[in-house]
Amino acid sequence: MIERTVTVQHREGLHARPAALFVQTAKASGLPVAIAREGEEAVDATSILSVMQIGIRQGDTVTISVEGNGAEDALDALVQQLEQS
Amino acid sequence: MTQVLAPVSGQVHPLSVVADEIFSSEMVGSGVCLRPGPDPQTAVAPVDGELVQIHPHAFVVSNRGRGVLVHLGVDTVKLLGEGFEKLAAKGDQVTQGQPLIRWNPAGVETQGYPSDVIVCVLDTPPGSIATKSVGTAVNTGDLLFELPDSLEARR
Repeated sequence: MIERTVTVQHREGLHARPAALFVQTAKASGLPVAIAREGEEAVDATSILSVMQIGIRQGDTVTISVEGNGAEDALDALVQQLEQS
Repeated sequence: MTQVLAPVSGQVHPLSVVADEIFSSEMVGSGVCLRPGPDPQTAVAPVDGELVQIHPHAFVVSNRGRGVLVHLGVDTVKLLGEGFEKLAAKGDQVTQGQPLIRWNPAGVETQGYPSDVIVCVLDTPPGSIATKSVGTAVNTGDLLFELPDSLEARR
């Protein structure tokens, strides 16, 4: 498993649109992907419900973890989305 | 089979009419769009369950592992809560029909955003909700659609 920690840049946080796009990217990888806000338990990043429930805000530090073949590429794509504002 | 009630009153349309492809493509989940009248109204819980998220302009109620999203207006996150009043808090157990957000559709339109209300079941494939109510007008609390058992409890 590989993971990376990033600071979320979206001005309004991970609201419906960025959350849906993030989950779509996670699902498209076909790999198990998890996301955790600093100090909190990791949740399934392929579930819009789970990602919306965390309610990630601008400036939050989150850790994304991916497992399996191609995890590096998947992680790059996911990190890139969270670093966009 | 879980009944999902109309969180607001309005004309029922397919999600494809919504001016945001995230919702119109049902990427967020399958469901319907409600076009409310201009008068101020109160959005209610469409199902029993835990209020797993509430913003001034949107909320999610989780019922047996399925999240029902109610999003009041399109792009209304940009209004930063202006014109919306939350009546409950994240983590509350809510019952069907319980008032959750007071808002003003005409006010949203005046600020330049569509007042379309998106009601969708998170993480369900496009077209998976049978939307017999499309083309009708509903009052708050009327049956909007049914959530088949096959779509319940992903976990």
